[in-house]
Amino acid sequence: MSASSRVEVEIELNGQVIFDHVEPSETLREWLRRQGMFSVKFGSDSGETGAAAVLVDGHLASADVLLAAQASGHAVTTVESLNTEAELHPIQAAFAATGAMQSGYSAGAMILGTLALLKRTPDPTEVEIRDMLSGILDRETAYVKPVEAVKRAAIMMRGGATEPFTPMVLEPMTDGVNSVPHDPTSPIPQASGAVPRLIPSRDVPEMSVVGKPEIKVDAVKLAKGNPAFTDDIELRGMLHAKLLTSPHAHARIVDIDDSAALKVPGVHAVLHHNNVARIKYASGGQSWPNPHPHDQVSFDTKVRHVGDRVAVVAAETVEAAERARDLIKVTYEVLPAVFDEREAMLPGAPVIHDETDTEEIFDRSKNIVHEITASRGDVDAAMASAPHTFEQTFRVHQVQQCPIEPHISIAWLDEDERMVIRTATQVPFHTRRMVAPLLGMDIKDIRVIKPRIGGGFGAKQEMLIEDIVGHLAKATRRPVKLELTREEEFMSSRTRHPQTLTFRTAVDNDGTLIAQDLYLIGNTGPYGTHGYTVQTVTGLRGLTSYNAPNKRFHCDVVYTNIPVPGAYRGYGAPQAEFALEAHLEDVAREMGIDVIEFKRRNWVKVGSEIDIAPHLGERAVVEGELDEYPRVMSSGIEECVAQSLREIEWHRRDDLSWRQPADRPDIRRGLGFAFCMHGTAIPFLDMGGCSIKLNDDGSFNMLVGATDLGTGADTVLGQIAAEVLGVPLEDIKVYSSDTDMTPFDTGAYASSTTYISGTAAMQAAENVRVRLKERAAMLLDIDQPCTIELRDRRAWAPDGRSVSLEEVALDSLHWQDQEQIMGTSSYVSPECPPPFAAQLAEIEVDIKTGQVTVTKLVMAVDCGVAINPVTASGQVEGGMLQALGYAHCEEYAYDDDGRMINSEFGPYWIYRADEMPETVVYLVQTMEDSGPFGAKAVAEIPKDGVAPAVRNAILNATGVAINDLPFTPERVWRALQVAPITDNS
Amino acid sequence: MPLVAAYHRPLDVSEALSLLSEPHRVPLAGGTTINADRAHDPVEVVDLQALGLNTIATHPGELRVGAMATLQSMIDSDAVPPALSEIARAASPSTLRTIATVGGTIASRDSSSVLLAALLVHNAEVTLANAGVVTLEDLLATGVPTHDLIMHVTFDPTGPTAVASTARTPADNPIVAAVARRGADQVALTGVANTPVLVDAVNPTVGLAPPPDFRGSTAYRLELARVLTPRAVEAVR
Repeated sequence: MSASSRVEVEIELNGQVIFDHVEPSETLREWLRRQGMFSVKFGSDSGETGAAAVLVDGHLASADVLLAAQASGHAVTTVESLNTEAELHPIQAAFAATGAMQSGYSAGAMILGTLALLKRTPDPTEVEIRDMLSGILDRETAYVKPVEAVKRAAIMMRGGATEPFTPMVLEPMTDGVNSVPHDPTSPIPQASGAVPRLIPSRDVPEMSVVGKPEIKVDAVKLAKGNPAFTDDIELRGMLHAKLLTSPHAHARIVDIDDSAALKVPGVHAVLHHNNVARIKYASGGQSWPNPHPHDQVSFDTKVRHVGDRVAVVAAETVEAAERARDLIKVTYEVLPAVFDEREAMLPGAPVIHDETDTEEIFDRSKNIVHEITASRGDVDAAMASAPHTFEQTFRVHQVQQCPIEPHISIAWLDEDERMVIRTATQVPFHTRRMVAPLLGMDIKDIRVIKPRIGGGFGAKQEMLIEDIVGHLAKATRRPVKLELTREEEFMSSRTRHPQTLTFRTAVDNDGTLIAQDLYLIGNTGPYGTHGYTVQTVTGLRGLTSYNAPNKRFHCDVVYTNIPVPGAYRGYGAPQAEFALEAHLEDVAREMGIDVIEFKRRNWVKVGSEIDIAPHLGERAVVEGELDEYPRVMSSGIEECVAQSLREIEWHRRDDLSWRQPADRPDIRRGLGFAFCMHGTAIPFLDMGGCSIKLNDDGSFNMLVGATDLGTGADTVLGQIAAEVLGVPLEDIKVYSSDTDMTPFDTGAYASSTTYISGTAAMQAAENVRVRLKERAAMLLDIDQPCTIELRDRRAWAPDGRSVSLEEVALDSLHWQDQEQIMGTSSYVSPECPPPFAAQLAEIEVDIKTGQVTVTKLVMAVDCGVAINPVTASGQVEGGMLQALGYAHCEEYAYDDDGRMINSEFGPYWIYRADEMPETVVYLVQTMEDSGPFGAKAVAEIPKDGVAPAVRNAILNATGVAINDLPFTPERVWRALQVAPITDNS
Repeated sequence: MPLVAAYHRPLDVSEALSLLSEPHRVPLAGGTTINADRAHDPVEVVDLQALGLNTIATHPGELRVGAMATLQSMIDSDAVPPALSEIARAASPSTLRTIATVGGTIASRDSSSVLLAALLVHNAEVTLANAGVVTLEDLLATGVPTHDLIMHVTFDPTGPTAVASTARTPADNPIVAAVARRGADQVALTGVANTPVLVDAVNPTVGLAPPPDFRGSTAYRLELARVLTPRAVEAVR
């Protein structure tokens, strides 16, 4: 090979030899995508995510870290090689059947890995499967269902028969209301960990589509790696954008010199504060009007964290953009910075927002952006007179959502010169509204399209980079793409809020809670974005799970110079429930009461008022009382507790021989419990719309604004409509999240989609059903359309006659009194029915090193009626994985100047397939009358209980209480030095 | 996109050495490090894949692993003892161990590499194209000389080997690991110096001053060395 700049390569791609000339820097991933192999995804330049893994000479290999030139002379296989027929390859079919694909962003890599594994080992063990998956990071499935998919594929490839992948239905252990004693002799149900255990409710009627483990409606395109994601589009003349971000945590920009950058060949624009209008905004994707303060602009004269925006370049190649970016000369006046929320409020701390055009900062001199208060009863009096009072302070840390697909947006002006933004977002409609003033455009001239996205988890509940590509598209009149690198995703995207929480609790002699007082200092970083609402939810979750006549919440939301916290699945609840469930565990121990009995005595039950909730939030009742307070209307918590205690073998908690294994003297074992309660949507605020129309063949197009992040929302909403219309799911064609085409939806957050958008879908379908019945009655010559039933794609008269929906469609579209049968609806709820759950953890502690190993997680969830038990259990599994990382290993680490020193997955570390603890999910049905077909939320509650359950298990194992996260070895070891281990018997 | 100004694929060692004698040229083993690094200055890479250095061969009393043998090939080879094979597996996830090479691992001198620690306790020697045979311990101390190439690593594969380690999670890179081999006076430690080091099995922390990071302070790493060393020794007794 020669040393000329371009390299001649000969690569066998999917069986076909391709001769090409490549740049020496071009990676194999880039070359493959240039060949149209869109299944090969970007996750990071380091190859750590495995999203770009392909087969090279039959071996799984990350195409990010291979040069295209290195692949010359080798055979490369991508998942597209399997797409020779319309039907799915057996491996693809196995992934679809088991719910192994949520967003499906890394599905291609997993399927290829399976192909290679099964060729080598036709009947692999679970250890071998997990080892194969060890290089493909997944934040969505906890690897449980991918492992099941590989096992199923192995059977199929060997010619074996497979059964449909369905839940294991179990008998209830309780009457649904009362507790039962834990029975150590009760046998544990045996099934693969991927199989959800389903405990039906007698109140739920049998249905045809709802409640069934339907295959996701997007499964085929995900399994085949079809071009479905933001980056999977090719536009003529597209430019590539690169960000220049701040190296300083706090500095004033004295000067920007872009002259050298503009001279780089191929550069079309360099934007910064000198040439972009200063329009104030808040980036959090929330309903109008966005909560104040509006403390951001597209490009500011000041930077407030390492990674903050300084400038952006658009150029014809990534290399030119990077070269130009590096030539921008910025002169900074470096300012003192502060990172800890407690220090930021002290006298003398640097003032982070000293500009005059940001309004409604509570006390800018102390960096307090909001003060939030709410109370019920008289906490001070209750504390003064209570026989027992307790106080503890907890510190929770900063972590990242880590979607494997980083933020990416592409903007262009269409043929009508309207701005089109194709973007990985959870909030397309909010984004359209919020970006308009920044671009100086009307909302009507902007279209936001959300294609498939590779995970969001709250990070994409933000108008984060859409303004940048919009500015560049306007400036260059060319399509522009901006995709964050993994380091930028860590430093310039969004994170979970660190907090300091102090709980004070008053308890009567019999263990009844008298008062709860929570003082919260929330660290919102340098920008407000979700700062107000996340801390509000912390207060809500901290003070609504348990009944107490006196409650008080006081919160200071504080600016600091850390990378920006924002929305992260759970939205303030994981922080609250860690502190709350740890605190009450310790209170119970102090009181000498069994912890579950103590919590049971006080947790909310059916009929309990959720009395502080209306006094917190964006539309809170700040003064006075309400005539009526929301109440809990459904709860399956006792069934959750009974099932999960049996699964975890709770009696071992008091078994010293189990806790201190004789053959492992340095090991202590423990079990921990956490009670979990979450919300379902934001009442009176979250709204979703749906429109359904009938097609000639009796199928339906369903248009929803709801945003499927990989959660299965499109599938669940389709199932709801199919149930109403009496058709199989395959007859509902779902199109979602396009501001030009679909009805409005607030977006995918606040555990709202199934409940809010699902009700809209149900009502829209009901509207269609009314007209279908009327038209069918005409064809069947029946006077009373209401007597007609829709099922099996037909409209049935009471006398047994029927017409097909196709006949109804052809008649209504073409034959007589022609009309388009369609229905539309939108829904906003006055209710916020809480899902409940019991979270259990089994752990081991090495008392000499502090190393904690989590060996089993069990979660039993009452999410009402799970519309699709497979996707619902997948939500629980994935949520537990993220929550485990939060509890155990993930954390932002900084140097003294506020620079993150672990902005790669290796040093940051998220859980891999080959190290996951056993996870088991129970779905306990209850009938929530306010939800569509009885549904409540399921997406966020799995984030709430893992950290306190692990913490309480460490306490059970060692007798040592640790009140800071995460439970990394040195932190635990140091705690063990301070508080010597007891036998805890 | 990595900053690669030119790509070379020499067909024999002498051509590779000739290419590497020019400035701004670096050997490309697997690529998991250099191709992942976007911060370095532009370089020309010399891809070593065509040099035939990927064999794993047994000789009386020793095992010879070519510099371009991948970690996956160590796992797949019947000649590699099971304990070492497992260490190679744990060194890298499935998508990278098929690319990462033994030579690249040695050249990286990563302080936390358990594989390097294991090679140390097996008295590994490294053969360089120009400098000849050096002990792995010496090479880790000095690094691969400029313009030279690792040809292969040779070691005595006998004797059971055991690892005792502490990490955040089961598959995480250990904060500190101790690797012991039956019959050896010394134990190899990771995470306590700038490279894996051999230490006295009885007094493992003598002379150590581990560089701290966010996963472990100096004091904690020393404590881990004290705890993990006897565990590893005991495991091979």
